[in-house]
Amino acid sequence: MRTPITPAVDRRTFVKGTALTTGAFFINSKFTTQRLADEPSSPFTTPWVQPLPFAPYATPLPSFEPLFPAVDPAMHQRYEEFAPQYFYEYPVFETTVCPHPQLAYSPRTTYCGCTPGPTLMMRYDRPALVRIKNQLPSVMTGFGSCDITTHVHNGHHPSESDGYPGYLYGPGYYNDHHYPNMLAGGDPLESKSTLWYHDHCMDFTSQNVYRGLTGFFLLFNNTDSGNENDTNPDAFRLPSGVPDGKRVRARYDIPLALMDARYDPNGFQIMDVMNMDGHLGDKYQVNGAIQPYFHVERRKYRFRILNVGPSRFYDLWLSNGMSFQHIANDGNLLPAPIEVNHVKLGVAERADIIVDFSQLPVTTTEIYLVNRAEQTNGRGPTGNTLPMGSSPKLLKLVIKPGAVLDNSRVPSILKPKPAMDLPVVRERNWHFGRSNGMWVVNGQLVDLNRCDAQITQGTAEIWNISTAGGWAHPVHMHLEEYHILSYNGKSVEGTGLGGRKDVFSLYPGDEMRIYMKFRDWLGKYVMHCHNIVHEDHAMMIRWDIVP
Amino acid sequence: MSAHAPRPEGDASLTRRHALRGLLLPAAGLIGGCAAGQKSRTDITASASSVEIPEGLGTFVMNPDGTRSFKDHVLRDQDGNTLRFQSDLMKGHIFAANFMYVHCKGICQNMTTQMSLAYDLLQPIMGNPARFYSFSLAEDSPEDMKEYMIARGIYGRPGWLMLTAPREVVRDIRWGFGFFDPNEEIDQDLNGHTGMARFGNQKTDKWSACPALGSPQVIARGILGVMPVNERPQLAGIIRESDHPARRIPTAKPAT
Repeated sequence: MRTPITPAVDRRTFVKGTALTTGAFFINSKFTTQRLADEPSSPFTTPWVQPLPFAPYATPLPSFEPLFPAVDPAMHQRYEEFAPQYFYEYPVFETTVCPHPQLAYSPRTTYCGCTPGPTLMMRYDRPALVRIKNQLPSVMTGFGSCDITTHVHNGHHPSESDGYPGYLYGPGYYNDHHYPNMLAGGDPLESKSTLWYHDHCMDFTSQNVYRGLTGFFLLFNNTDSGNENDTNPDAFRLPSGVPDGKRVRARYDIPLALMDARYDPNGFQIMDVMNMDGHLGDKYQVNGAIQPYFHVERRKYRFRILNVGPSRFYDLWLSNGMSFQHIANDGNLLPAPIEVNHVKLGVAERADIIVDFSQLPVTTTEIYLVNRAEQTNGRGPTGNTLPMGSSPKLLKLVIKPGAVLDNSRVPSILKPKPAMDLPVVRERNWHFGRSNGMWVVNGQLVDLNRCDAQITQGTAEIWNISTAGGWAHPVHMHLEEYHILSYNGKSVEGTGLGGRKDVFSLYPGDEMRIYMKFRDWLGKYVMHCHNIVHEDHAMMIRWDIVP
Repeated sequence: MSAHAPRPEGDASLTRRHALRGLLLPAAGLIGGCAAGQKSRTDITASASSVEIPEGLGTFVMNPDGTRSFKDHVLRDQDGNTLRFQSDLMKGHIFAANFMYVHCKGICQNMTTQMSLAYDLLQPIMGNPARFYSFSLAEDSPEDMKEYMIARGIYGRPGWLMLTAPREVVRDIRWGFGFFDPNEEIDQDLNGHTGMARFGNQKTDKWSACPALGSPQVIARGILGVMPVNERPQLAGIIRESDHPARRIPTAKPAT
C-alpha cells in the first residue's frame, strides 16, 4: 500500500528529489480570467487506486524524557496555572512525498516527516506543550520558506503560542507552543472540536502550507468525548475512533483534509508563486493522496472535512444526492444538527458531517464525494453549480455489504450558542479591498509593526466587515470566534452559519456584522483573508489585547 | 481620475484578455514514463541556454537546476548603460524590484523613500545584500532618472538601478513578476499602477512580494526572507521581533 506519509529519507534521496522539483517546463505566467486553461495540466493519474491515508497520532514524550532545554515559564502567560500535562516534540524537516503512484516523489516541508502532520489529540483541561523545532536546511530551492511559525487555527491560545506571523523563526531555532486547552471565558458552551494547525510565516504562508505544513488538532471533552460507547450520560456518543496512520483502530471519525495541487510533466509538485490572485491545482488531494478510496461500513460516520486551500472553494455533495447531518461548522458543534445534502467550504473552513450509510439501498456499493463549485481562477468561485455528473470527484466511498452494530448517536441538541453577555464597548468597520494592485484592509497595507486595533481585555466589540471588487475573501479571526449577527443584512439563525465561526467566506459586495469577546490572553493577534495567497500579499491587520 | 488616486477595485465582470496562451510544452525528455518513484536526473535534458522563452506576456522558462529564466530584454539604467534583464539583472542576484516613473505625483516617491529607508537599514549591517531595481513605467530617459535619484539621495548607491525600456518591455517584466490586472484598461492605467515590490533570489528561485509602501522593516524583511538563512543576520525588529519567543536549538545535551 502506498501512502503519501513517508518516513524520513536519506539525504541522497532528498537531494535528488529537490533537484528535480521544478523540472524543465515552460510556464506562461500571464494571468487572465482564463488562465487556468493556460497553466500546465498535471499528468494523468488513475483515480481510486490508493486507499485514503491517515496521519499518525502525535505521541507525547514519555515522562522520563523531559524536554531539553527546559521550558522557560517566563516566556508564557499563566504557565503555572495551566501547567502542561503532555509534552510533544515536533521537528520540521524536509522529506519527499508521493501523492499518487503515477507521480514522482516531491520534496515537502513536513511536521515529523508526514503531511498532513501527526494529528494532535487534545482534551479540554489537559494543557499541553508542543516544541516545534525548525530543522529545515538553510537553503531551499523553489517555493516555500525555511522560516516557519505554527498557528493552531481556531485555537484559544496565548499570543506567544498562537503562531503570530511575525514570530517566524529560521532553521536552528525552536518555539514552545503552550496550549492551555481552556474553555474561552471558562464557558462550557465555548468548547470546540475540529481545529487544525498550519504554518503562518509572514509572506510565505501559502507556499509553506502548500508545501506540506498542515495537520489536524482535535479537541475533546466530556460531551464530544470521542467515544460512541461512552457511559457518561452527558456524552453525545457521536461516531468515534479517529484512525491512526500507524495502528488500526475503530475508524468512524474521519478527518478529511482537502487540498488541490498541480504537478509538472515529471510529476513534481509546482506552484506559480507569481500569481497574486490565488493558486489553483487540478489534482484533488484528500489527506495528501490524489483521489483515494475509502471502505465504509453500513453505519454512521463522522467526517471532519477541512479545506486546506490554498485558494479553492468547495461545494461538497455525495454523488447520489443523499442527505446527511451537518453537526459542526469550523470548530463548533451547532446548536442542533441540520439535515442538508451539501456543504460549502471556503478556504480554512471546516464542516463536521454525519453520514449514515445504513440508509443506502443494498444495491449501492459505491458513492463519491464531489465538488460542484465551479472555480476557474484563484479569485474565488464563479457562483455556478456544476452538474453532478461532471463535477470533480474527490473521494470514492466503497460501501461494504452487510449490516453492522452501530452504537453511535446524533443528539437532537448539540451545543447551544454561548451568550453574548459582555457589553459592547466599541464598533469597528473593516473593508477588505484592493488598491493599486495591492490587497488592503481599510485602505491600509499590513504592517506588523503597527497595531490596527487595540482592544481592552474582557470587553466585547461589534465589527462590520465588508468586501468589494471581484475577489472572494474568507475572513479569519485569531484567538476568538465570532457570532454572526447578520450577513448581508439578514439573520443566519437556523442555518449552518448559525453557530459561531472563526472563518467566513465573503463574496464580492458582501457585508457581515459580527460580535466578538476578547478574553483570557494578552498580546498580538491578527485578522486576515484566508485565501492564503492574499494573506501573503498584505491582506491582514494586527490587533492587540491589552490589560 | 486624478493622478494616483486609489484605483477603484476590480470588477468580477472584467473583460477578458486573449493574449497568446502559450502552452507549457515540456522540454525534451520530460514525459518519459509515469512510473512511481524517483525519476532519473537524465530525464531532463533542456537547459536555459538551449530553450527559447515562449511568446506571450510575462513568460519564463524553468531550468533544470530549479531556477527560472525570463526573456533577456534590453534596458538602460540611469547612467545610460545597456543592461540585459535576465543576464545582468536576474541571473545570480538577490533583489527588490518595484515599478514607478519619474514624474509621478502619487505613490512613487513614497515607494522610493520606503525602499531607501530599507536600504539604510540593511546596508550598514550587511553591505549590499541585494540589488534594488526600479523599472520605469513611462519610458523615462536616463537623464530624468538620474536627476530623480540625485534628488532623493539614492544616486551612486551600490546596486541601486533605475531602469527604462519601451513600455511593452516593462509591461512584460511586470507581468512576469505577477503584477497585472486581467482588465486591459486597468492593467494599462498608469494612475493606478502597482505599488507592490517583488523580492527575488534567482539562485534558489525564492520569491515573495510585499507593498513597496510598507514600512522599511517590512521591506527589509522581504529581502531577507528570500536570502539563504546562513547569509543573513537575525535582525531584531526585522526578521525577529524583539519579543520573539523562539530560542536557539542547543547543539547537544550536557553530559549527565
